[in-house]
Amino acid sequence: MTDVHSTASKAAPESEAADLDGEATRPFGTGPAEPDSGSGGASGGTGAGWGRWAWRQLTSMRTALILLFLLALGSVPGSILPQQGSDPASVTQYFTSHPALAPWLNRLGLFNVFAAPWFAAIYILLFASLVGCVVPRTFKLVGSARTPPPRAPRNLARLPQSVTYPSALPPDAAVDAAASVLGGMRFRLRRPAAGDAGHWLAAEKGYLREVGNLLFHLSLLGVLLSIALGGLFGYKADELVVEGQTFNDTTAQLAEFHPGRLVTGSDLAHFSLTLDKFNADYINSGASIGQPAGFNANVSYSDAPGGATKTYDIQVNHPLSVDSVKVYLIGHGYAPEFTVRGPDGVAYQEATPFIPANTNTMLSDGVVKAPSASLGFEGVFVPTAYMAGGTTLESIFPAANNPEVSLIGYSGNLGLDSGTAQSVYQLDTSQMTEISGGPHLLTPGSTWTLPGKLGSITYDGTKQWVSLDVTYDPGQIPALVCGILAIAGLLISFFVRRRRVFVRAVPGPDGVGSVVTVGGLTRTDASGGFEDEFATLAADIADASSPSSPSSPTAGPAAAADHQKPEPNNQSETGA
Amino acid sequence: MVFKAKRRTVVTTAAAVAVLLVAALVVTVFTHGNSSSASDDNMVAYPAGQRPAGPEFTATSLTGAPVNFASYRGKIVVLNIWGSWCAPCVAEGQTLKYLDEQYGPQGIAFLGDDLQDTPTQALAFLRGAGISYPSVNDANGAVEERLAIAVPISATPTTLVIDKTGHIAGVIDGAVTYPEMTTLLKDAAVTQ
Repeated sequence: MTDVHSTASKAAPESEAADLDGEATRPFGTGPAEPDSGSGGASGGTGAGWGRWAWRQLTSMRTALILLFLLALGSVPGSILPQQGSDPASVTQYFTSHPALAPWLNRLGLFNVFAAPWFAAIYILLFASLVGCVVPRTFKLVGSARTPPPRAPRNLARLPQSVTYPSALPPDAAVDAAASVLGGMRFRLRRPAAGDAGHWLAAEKGYLREVGNLLFHLSLLGVLLSIALGGLFGYKADELVVEGQTFNDTTAQLAEFHPGRLVTGSDLAHFSLTLDKFNADYINSGASIGQPAGFNANVSYSDAPGGATKTYDIQVNHPLSVDSVKVYLIGHGYAPEFTVRGPDGVAYQEATPFIPANTNTMLSDGVVKAPSASLGFEGVFVPTAYMAGGTTLESIFPAANNPEVSLIGYSGNLGLDSGTAQSVYQLDTSQMTEISGGPHLLTPGSTWTLPGKLGSITYDGTKQWVSLDVTYDPGQIPALVCGILAIAGLLISFFVRRRRVFVRAVPGPDGVGSVVTVGGLTRTDASGGFEDEFATLAADIADASSPSSPSSPTAGPAAAADHQKPEPNNQSETGA
Repeated sequence: MVFKAKRRTVVTTAAAVAVLLVAALVVTVFTHGNSSSASDDNMVAYPAGQRPAGPEFTATSLTGAPVNFASYRGKIVVLNIWGSWCAPCVAEGQTLKYLDEQYGPQGIAFLGDDLQDTPTQALAFLRGAGISYPSVNDANGAVEERLAIAVPISATPTTLVIDKTGHIAGVIDGAVTYPEMTTLLKDAAVTQ
């Protein structure tokens, strides 16, 4: 077939054939005369030239891939080093253990990677690159979906698929018959303009491919916009709640609040939430003894001030949805209850959250601050106490089976009156003196009477706390929808074939009837099958233009022969 | 030739990206640590006529007495949101105590909103600091939420000055200072 075609093309006047065939086989959907926009550039030396050059570099696929790779690379320190946003305590610890290295890492923003300007530079450039690539492409695709089929080339035999047959109908009627067949199959048709010589028909189908492509690109933009929407209007907050405590979703009451760029405190959903009971189940026996089996945070909440109270059981991956906000359970721990008495009476009575130092055994650290009695305590809580070697307090199981607290007492100024905000989990002992008798071990209900009439501390009992993540991301659903649409668009553009069929009829050799040539062309035929489709189409067209009856199954012998075996066209340039 | 040209483009692209990233890195190094949000402009005064409506709430004081905020109508009220666990609140206590002693006799009412605290610690602090004006027990944050709907409140301490008509004349975000408070109290005296 290839040989036949190449022979045929040699017979044609070189320039004319190249011209016409050039139009028919031009990329599907592109305009006929498109100057190469890639030429020109920085050689002019003008500012605009450089700008154009820079923009072209930025929006190239290559740059996008480099940036994507850098984005992945830049995220690595975020997962290796502790991050200020998620774990400030570990960052402090890192500073203590690496005093020389940590300040430098901090200067490079490696403790807050996702907020560092260099990280922002990567993703802003990536966004610009993607938008710069996708937007012009979208316009191109719209144009391509609207472009009519090109004129039929003069030499249809040069196309990958072609077949020729004689018809009893005159050329214009034969082309009309073909048009009704192709039109009925929802091909987009193009006929010669008034005054054009020749009888031909150009038909194209598979515009859905461009729609799919367009959908993919628009959805990609949609994903970017959704991410921006989340970044601008979303927020994330953390709160630690002890059993029996209530908090409201306001900036002042949340422990950590990370608002989006355009979020203010008054945009928060006004719900309140009380932790009624927290329950952690652990495996009691076997190889995985001590492993958590389940966490349940039973909460009561109301979605408006003074609104009706509802209850919910928050579990890991089963967040509470309230007022378009999601509340996730992200951590838990113990809050031993203490009563501190000073010389003037009770100075402190509260369940005090201790932070787990070991998440397997739930050995936890915490501090008790009673500034009005000038007393402070550093404590270690163990849920299931075990004295290793008779001297070291350890925890052997994460559940509170045998809870004990070991305390070191301090008296003096806690530094709260200096006005500098302090962590509630750290005690500033710089202006305090250690009370003798520590560390002192307390079991529930027992009291340590401090020497020197300083007062006493009683370990009343144990409560639990949970750490909740309050998240509002208005971009989540749009991002999901756009993601699904992008995949759908991609599949459509993969599976739909854009194909062209041309029909040209010339008067028959003896002046009776006509000789009809049908040619076919497709660009991407990854899934195959165009040859078969073309054979069927050509047979239908031949049927329609056969002299007996267009719809008759008993076609003429010539047509029937064509049905069986479409014959490659050797009579090129008959109409030239 | 084609290969050479392509290679040159790759090199120039990589160079451009590298230059931009080095620039960003330099910005990171020189701006890091300067982002402390300690703004001097932490006072908002609303001119008369443009003041947001103040909240209405009923609550219980730290000592168990009922508090109906509506009964404060007709007085200028200084409403201070605080907690005994909050160091800046503890530090501003003496300023508020002084203002209360100076302006209390002139008919200006002082009320605390003790947020996410326990009455034990709160009363122990008030006793120690010698503060005698009442505070609402807002352990569950319900009163603060009402206030946060009326005006933006970012953290403790926050102090609201409410005029005689029950409208919010001004807000101080962070510890109060004597000059700020006297300015706001003077403003609040003007209603329409």
